[in-house]
Parts: sequence; structure tokens; C-alpha cells
Amino acid sequence: MAEPLLLKDAAGVAQAAPATRSVSRRQPGAARWVVAVSIAVSLLALLPLAFVIGISIQTGWATIVQLVFRPRVAELLINTVLLVVITLPLCIALGVALAWLTERTNLPGRRLWSVLATAPIAVPAFVHSYAWVSLVPPIHGLFAGVLVSVIAYFPFLYLPVAATLRRLDPAIEDVAESLGLKPWAVFFKVVLPQLRLAICGGALLVGLHLLAEYGLYAMIRFDTFTTAIFDQFQSSFNGPAANMLAGVLALCCLVMLSIESASRGHARYARVGAGSARPQRTQILKGHVTGLALALPIFTSLMALGVPLVTLGQWLIAGGLDVWRMADILPALQQTFLLASAGALITTAAALPVAWLSIRAPGRLQRLLESCNYVTSSLPGIVVALALVTITIHIARPIYQTLVTVLLAYLLMFLPRALVSLRAGIAQAPVELENIARSLGSSPSQALWRVTLRLAAPGAAAGAALVFLAITNELTATLLLAPSGTRTLATGFWAMTSEIDYAAAAPYALIMILLSLPLTALLYYQSKRTAGR
Amino acid sequence: MNALELNALYKTFGNVAALNDVSLCVPAGSRAAIVGPSGSGKTTLLRMIAGFEFPDSGSIRLNGQTLVDSANQVPAHQRLIGYVPQDGALFPHMTVAGNIGFGLSGTPASKQQRVEELLAMVALETRMSKSWPHELSGGQQQRVALARALAQRPRLMLLDEPFSALDTGLRAAMRKMVAKLLSEAGITTILVTHDQAEALSFADQLAVMRQGRLVQAGPPMELYLHPADRQTALFLGDAVIMPAQVEDGWATCDLGRIPVNHPSHSGPAHIMLRPEQLHLTPEHGEAIHANGCLGVITDRDFGGNVCTLTVELHPQVCAVSGQTTNRSLLVRSSGLGAPPTGSTVHISTLGNAHVLPGA
Amino acid sequence: MIPRVPSLLKTASLAALLLGAGHVYAAPSADGIVVYNAQHESLTKAWVEGFTRETGIKVTLRNGDDSEMGNQLVQEGAASPADVFLTENSPAMVLVSNAGLLTPVAPSTQQQVAEPYRPAQGKWIGIAARSTVFIYNKSKLSEAQLPSSLMDLATPAWKGRWAASPAGADFQAIVAAVLELKGEAATLEWLKGMKANATAYRGNSAVLKAVNAGQVDAGVNYHYYAFVDQSKTGENSNNTALHYFKHNDPGAFVSISGGGVLASSKHQEEAQAFLKWITGKDGQAILKTGNSFEYAVGKGAESNPKLVPLAQLDAPAVDASKLNSKKVIELMTQAGLL
Repeated sequence: MAEPLLLKDAAGVAQAAPATRSVSRRQPGAARWVVAVSIAVSLLALLPLAFVIGISIQTGWATIVQLVFRPRVAELLINTVLLVVITLPLCIALGVALAWLTERTNLPGRRLWSVLATAPIAVPAFVHSYAWVSLVPPIHGLFAGVLVSVIAYFPFLYLPVAATLRRLDPAIEDVAESLGLKPWAVFFKVVLPQLRLAICGGALLVGLHLLAEYGLYAMIRFDTFTTAIFDQFQSSFNGPAANMLAGVLALCCLVMLSIESASRGHARYARVGAGSARPQRTQILKGHVTGLALALPIFTSLMALGVPLVTLGQWLIAGGLDVWRMADILPALQQTFLLASAGALITTAAALPVAWLSIRAPGRLQRLLESCNYVTSSLPGIVVALALVTITIHIARPIYQTLVTVLLAYLLMFLPRALVSLRAGIAQAPVELENIARSLGSSPSQALWRVTLRLAAPGAAAGAALVFLAITNELTATLLLAPSGTRTLATGFWAMTSEIDYAAAAPYALIMILLSLPLTALLYYQSKRTAGR
Repeated sequence: MNALELNALYKTFGNVAALNDVSLCVPAGSRAAIVGPSGSGKTTLLRMIAGFEFPDSGSIRLNGQTLVDSANQVPAHQRLIGYVPQDGALFPHMTVAGNIGFGLSGTPASKQQRVEELLAMVALETRMSKSWPHELSGGQQQRVALARALAQRPRLMLLDEPFSALDTGLRAAMRKMVAKLLSEAGITTILVTHDQAEALSFADQLAVMRQGRLVQAGPPMELYLHPADRQTALFLGDAVIMPAQVEDGWATCDLGRIPVNHPSHSGPAHIMLRPEQLHLTPEHGEAIHANGCLGVITDRDFGGNVCTLTVELHPQVCAVSGQTTNRSLLVRSSGLGAPPTGSTVHISTLGNAHVLPGA
Repeated sequence: MIPRVPSLLKTASLAALLLGAGHVYAAPSADGIVVYNAQHESLTKAWVEGFTRETGIKVTLRNGDDSEMGNQLVQEGAASPADVFLTENSPAMVLVSNAGLLTPVAPSTQQQVAEPYRPAQGKWIGIAARSTVFIYNKSKLSEAQLPSSLMDLATPAWKGRWAASPAGADFQAIVAAVLELKGEAATLEWLKGMKANATAYRGNSAVLKAVNAGQVDAGVNYHYYAFVDQSKTGENSNNTALHYFKHNDPGAFVSISGGGVLASSKHQEEAQAFLKWITGKDGQAILKTGNSFEYAVGKGAESNPKLVPLAQLDAPAVDASKLNSKKVIELMTQAGLL
């Protein structure tokens, strides 16, 4: 046997200890560049907000008062608030009702209705508008705004609510019923409160869309801040009036963010205890009730899918082969594809360090960085675009009107989409595997690449797909920032509808829907597996 | 010669001292086990040796090379230290061959050859190289994890509770196989476990950790019989601890007079005996024994090969406090010939009692 | 430090993507020119196709609105990537010209254009023209009910009965004419009346469609939208008729679409050639034969025979180079229209 194990004289070495204190708190190697990149990405994300603040200071208080405190702004504010206040409850009610019907009842064709309740996402919001305007030409104003918004955006509530309903612990409902609650009381007192997180998250997403969307409201002549900013932009490029409206809009978004985070509270709902989950309780619908219950998904699908598809079909038939001007459509498709793939790639790559950090080294810095990213993504594309136009034209001229700028805008706007999916993906890859790889001779970066990224690949793919989808349907930032000669499917569609050439716009709409379909399917299956964020 | 030298390692997480002045030497080619309850800092220590954590202060040297001190830190991937974690942690996106070959460089053919060698070494069939981790049993996964760690011919092997997820039978077999394998390969090994039986059986050297401190280190038998304190005594196995009066190498206690291993100690103390040092003989009321005392079996815990008996001593006046006590003892007995409950037995002791320092 | 393998792979694929994108975008090459185009895309595209076919010079279009691009050029200043600026109306061109960003139009080009469409300093040139019209739904208004002046539309009698596209530069040019002819106070008053009376649509085509559908009685528009629609299916204009205000009324304003060469252009020769081509015989002929229905402005060039001849429109005399787009935006913002 070798010489015995020694326990060293502790007192002897204790004297040496103070000298070695200086090396405390060392970060493992990989973390350093990750932190650096994360900080860089987050600082970039703050650019638009900094712009709004900077331009306000530059504009001066007197001009701000003149531009912000005027009847037109009040009008837009009322419009916007009414739109949000009416649309959100309707979206929530519709989303929750459909989710309950498809997840918790024996409704005939549940799976079909569940797919159809997700499918409207594949139709870009402004195509919904286009469909309704061509079906009912006089439709306009608040009513139209609410109608089309509910139809276009309710899936953002349906998806998380359905996913949450699927994995709630049925035992809690059993207990509630055993305590004497009637079934409807069980739903309102036990189930609904557990859906709060999903509803808050979904409602925030819808709310931000309501504030940011341009095409949908422009086409049905409902003025919101975003459409007014666009008008001002058309009239004066990036004049102070446009920038001040952007400031007010940014403020609205921040208010919405804080309302959401306040109403979300500290609640975290999860199954308590181990054991395999039992199947969810199913409400048996009978007779008339079934008919009545069926009416909701049928009606919703008709409005959200029937109307766009039928009107699109009509225009395609009316337009015949003439509208398939391939010389215009093919380059648009090609450019959309390139912009969307480059944007998705860059955004996912940039989200990677932030996501990795949030899983591997959660802490105050990381939370701060992440909230930076969320704040920016809540800013409408028009605000981000205005900021980048101003910044590139005055400070960063070499990237003015280049791909770099428009890709940067996509990065800022869509980073969180990639982030959420990537985070889930990286969470699938335990840190232990990275450690093992390092013990086997891989450097931290190689370990990240060979192990974590491979395992996070499905999450990264889902994130990239979401960004791709968002870029495909993006209008305002592309219009303002893209290099001369750029024509995407969305801007092509928009140019056609601006001239009321609905037939010529139809092929663009169709291609956008077809491009979005597989990604919507992916979203659907992903939500089947996980719930909320 | 020492392969691994840990010198005054400190590490805190927030306000909690995970490692508090830990120093340890592991001789080359030996097998050491670090035991301690969960939260004792043993895993932190292991991860620090592997290079996944860094100490607030202190130094680590391996084969004369400084891995960490105040000026240098060698990153994990340059340490050439093998690591097998609790669940094996195979890369789920790679086959067995991919896992084992992860750290290998060279041509595919040479890699394949080495993978086959390693598979043979851990007693797995070659055809398994194409399997996926989820297709393997727990034991097979651990073997693959071991082969993967062996692939790069590590200077030191770290095993983090690698057998704890296995069934009892498999666990002992695996332990033996791994011990033999590593010995033959001459690889210095450190095993971390909370299972004292595993540690005692596996290691040449044992180190006990508690609350971030290394409380005792030495050969297993030495620690088992002569623990540094009551907690260590109880952690390493069942123990009979009782007050005694020690004088001239003899302890006087409820069991009578027992020789102790600390002839120099004198005065009141706590002594420790392992249950297997107590010997029971049926009492027929005839012989008066010079040594030992009488008791009644109050409980039998049949455990197969071993039977643990609870013996209540006859009330007697305590040698130390002078009070009357009703003391119960745990005694190991062969499962077959154990006396029945309610029978009176005579208890005698084998070997020396250990005087617990300061207790 | 960045991971070796990933960075290589990523850089490679990114480079491929960007290269591909660059290729597809056919980025303005050294020999081509960039045109900031606020004219109707279809008209400019027809011009570009003809020009490129004849000269081989490549043209990249950046499409936008008059005021947007005018202001954009001002902000871009000397570093603008644009070589040529084309507008639908004059005010934005005036803005750019006043900022000193235009180089004089070649004399030979100026000679090709009829006198009234040649601004005084020769910094830019008319390329086409359009007339303001009052378009109405025939079943909603009889000829007797038609307004005699554009200014009447601000009176309470017209509340809720007419439409316009105030965010567009087209309409803003008409306001500029009102401003030039009636002064600031009267213009603001009129705009406030408009805010109370008019329905805002987005784009003149939308106004036409709404009037045709009877959603609103009438609209202020330019003449050619109805003609373009009639030349196709007429589905958006069959129920409408055009009313020309004439009598030098601000509502009879004829707006000049302009073309100018940026002083900062590094392709002066090609840029001047482009302007020369579109104001020349072939360029102006596209106005006659094509589907734009805008008025031709070339010397001796004929407009589409279906149009009411320019000479009969009795337009007010407005010096195009005095139209003030900045003031118009200010006033419209003040009136709550923007």
C-alpha cells in the first residue's frame, strides 16, 4: 500500500490563505465571452428606448407640449385604449372558452377544432383585414378594429390556455368538488385562477400586437398611434411629430408591460408532488348543449379562416393567371426568404448567450439583461424603425439603408421569441453534460457547441421558426429600413392593396400563408408539449 | 508519492461555507473515498478537483503540476481528469460509440478500435457501440460512462456516487469491477459517496467530511474502529457509545471492564464499541462470568444473514454517574443462531473499546 | 473567445446568406443609378424599363411618398445614396431644391418641356401633371348640388359628406396650393373645417372606391384615378363622375410631378440622361399610351385622348417653386388631420 493519506496541519496552511484570497470569485472560462456578448446584445436592445428619450430631450419641453398635448393625440389615445379594453376581454373569453371546449369536454371533433383554433396565426393580420374589407367594403373604425383584432389574435390566448388546461393537476379539482363546489364553481374558483399566468402572458402578447400593428388598422381606417406615426412619417420622414408620437406609444407599451407583471403577481403554478399525471376531467356535453357548444368553434373558424380563405380564393379566381406576375412575385419570395432566414439565424445566434446565461447562471445581472430585451420587443416596429432610421442617418451612416440595419431591427424586435424557445431548449441540456465534455478535454466553448447546442437544437429551431414567421409578415420596419429595391411579400402585398388592386395582392397573401403554415404547425405541436413560459 | 495534493481550500456560496480549510493528499495509484452526509461539501470538493468550480483560496496540485493556486488556474478541459457522475450523464444525442469516443482524436478507424478496447475493458459487448443511451440499463450506462472517462487515459479518476442509482446486487458487483479495473490500470481514483459501506469497501483511504470540513482521514479500518468523534463513529456504522471511567488502559462501564486503546487516557470518557464486538451467550444461570454482564433480548430485527438484536441490560448502578440506568444495546448476531426475544443473555466484548476524544 | 467550429460554420453560412442576399438585391452597382421614386410605381417602372432597354443603365428604385422622401433627402444631405428624385407633386421637390441639394437640370432637357412646367430656377423639371377634381357618386349628388369652390367644403353644409386622403402627399400638394393662394390663416380655417367634415381614407384609390360604393357622397382627388379604373374593370368608378372646379379656384389646381438630379450624385451623367429620357419623346409617349392617365408635359407631347385637355381646366396660376410642404404639414398637424 502506498503511503497513508495525510491530513495536513490545518493551522500551518491557514497563514498562507490570505495571500490567495485575491483569486476568489473567478468565473469559469466560458461565462466571460457569453456575459460580454449578452451585455452587448442587451445594450443594443436599449437603443430604441434611448432614442425615444434622447429625441425627447433634444426636442425640448415646449415643442413636446405642443406636439403631445393636442386633440389629435387624445383622439388616438382614446382609440387605442378603447381598442385594447374591448379586444382583450373578448380575446380572453374566446380563447378560454375554446380551450375549455377542446381540452375538457367531449365536444365532437375536438382535435380538429383545436387545430383550427391555432390556424388563424398562419394568416398575417393585415390579410385578415384585407379579407374583411373586400367582403364588407364599408367596414371601418372601432367596431372593425375590434372584430378583426379578435379574429386575428385570439390564438395567442388559446394556445397557452389550452396547454395549461392540459397539464393542470386534476386532483385539485377533485378536492374542490369533494369540498362541495358545483362544477361551474370549480371552473371559476379553481381552474380559472390556475390559468392566470397563461391568460396574462397571452393577453400581453395580444395587447402589444394591438399597439404595434399597422397594416390591419390602416386597411380598415382605424387610427391608432402606429397608423398616425406612419402618416407622420410619410408626411415628414422622421420629423419631431412622428418621434413624439413614438414616445407616447413607447410609454403605452411600458404601461402595458407593468400592468401585466403586476397582475401576474408572484404566483407560480405547478403540479405539487410526484407521481404520474392522471388524465384530465372531461365534461360530458349532451344534446342541445353539444349543438350550442359546437356553434362557437364553427362560428370562430368561419370568421377567422373561412372569410380570409374564401375572399382570397375569390380574388385568385377573379385575377386568374394575370395576377401571377412571376417577375415580381419570385424576387419578392426570394428576398423574403433570405431576409427571414438571415434574420432568424442572427436573432437565434444573438439570443443564445443570453439564454445560456439565464439557465446556467441566473442572477441579478442576467435578469436585468433579459428585461432589457423584453422591453424593446414590446416597442412597435415603427418605433424601432424610426429610431434606427434616425440613428443610422445621423451617426452610423455606413449601415444606413443596408441589410445590416434591417436585420438589426428584426433582431431587436424578435429576440424574445428566440429567447423563450432557446431557454426551454437549453434547460433540456443539464449543465452536468457540459462539465463531462470539459472533463473529456473539450474547451468550454467546444462543450457548448458539441453538447448543449446539439441538445438545444429543437428549441433553437423552434425559436428560429418563430422569428422567420415574424419577419415574413413584418411590414413597417421593412418599409422604412430595407435597402433600396427591396420588395418582400409583405411590402409587395401592401403596395398592391394601397392601389386597391386586391386581385394582384392575392398571390402575395397566399404565399405568405403557405410559408407560415408549417411554422404554425410547429407552434401547435410545441404548445402540445409545453405550456406557457 | 502523492498524486493529488489539496491545500487549504476555501469556498463559500453566499453565506454558506461549502469548503472550509480542506487539505488532503492522495497517494499515486490509490483509491480514496470521500464520505459525508449530503451538504457536507464532498461534491463541491470533487467538482473543484475536476475544474468545474474554483476555490476562493487554496491550491490544488496533481502529479506536481499546479492546477489551481492564487496565480494559475488550469481549465477543466486541460486537466486530463476523468469524471463519472451519479447518473452517468451520457450525451443523449450520441450513441455509445459517440459517447466513448467523445474525447478521442484520430482517425475513425483508430477511434473505433479504441472504443472496442474500452467496451471490452468495462465488460460490454462490441455490438453495443451502436446503441443509444436510452436503450441501456442503468448498469450499462454507468459502464459506458466509465469507459468514456477512461478513454483519454486520465491522470486521476473522479467518481461522484456512480453506483447509487443501481440496484443493491448490481451495486456491489459494479463496485468490485470498477475497483479492480482502476487498480489494474493504476489510475489514482477518488470516489465520493454518502454510503459508508460502499466507501469502506472501495477505498484504500477514507476521508470523512462534515459541514465543509475534512474531519478525519485514514485507512478504512482505522477510521471505523477509531473515529475522531461521536458523529463520525455513527456515520461509519452502528455504534455502542456509553460513558465509562477509564484508568490504566481499562474502562469501567455498564458492560463491566473493557480494555481500551488509549492506555494514557484516564478519567471519565465516552467509549465506543462496534456492535460486532459484543458477543452474546445464552444465560443458564449457572456460571458467573468474570467479564461482561446480563441482559434481556427485547427486539429482534431479522435481516437475513445478520440479525440485529436489542438487548436491555439488567438495571445496575452506573460506574460513572452512580445512577441506576436501564441501558439498551444493539448487538449483531448470526441470523441463524440468534437467541429468541425475551431470553436472558450474557454479553461479553471482543477487542478494545475506543475512547472518543473530548466526548 | 468564440467557439471555433460554430463560428466557422456560422460565419460561412451567414456569409453565404448575405452574399445571396446581396446578389438578389442587385445592390446599386457602380454603373447604375438609384432613383428615389414617389411617383406611381407602375409609371416609373415603365419609364425605367424603357430607359434601361435603350441605354443599358441599371436603375434601382426606392419607393416612398413625396414628403417622406423629400425630408429623407434633406436629412441624408450630401451623403444621400440617391441620384434622381421623382415626385408626384411639387412641394417635396421644392423642399429638396431649397435645401440646395439639386443640381440644375441640363438645358437640353429643359428645352424638351413646355414652359408652364419648368420651374423658374431650372433646378428641377416637370415630368407629368395632374389636375385636382371633385369626384362624386352620381346617385348621391346631382350636378346642381356640386360645390363651386373647394373652399366651400369646409362649411357645415358638407359635414360628413366628403372624403380625402390627408396623409398622402397628393392631397398635401392641394393644401399647399390653397396656402399659396389663400394665405395661412384661411388655410388653417379650411383645414379645421375639413377635420370636422371629411372622412379620412388612406390613399386616393381608397377615396375613389368609397365614393363609388356610396360610403361617402364625394371626395377630393386627382383626375387620373377614375380614368385608370375605367380603363380596367371600372368596378371602383362606374358610379362616379368627375367635377372640375375650373375658374382659377384652388380646387382647379394642376399639380406638377417633378424630377431632379441630386447634386451629390456620383452618376451625374446617367442621372441627367434618365431625366432627359423621361421628359423626352419616348418618356412622354408612355403617358399617352400607357395606363397612367397623367398629363404629359413635354413640348408637343400629347396626353391620353380620353382626358379633358389641360388647357380647358382653367387652373389657378401657382408658382410650383413656392409651394411650402413644411408649413402644410405643420398646419395639418395643427388641425388634427395628422
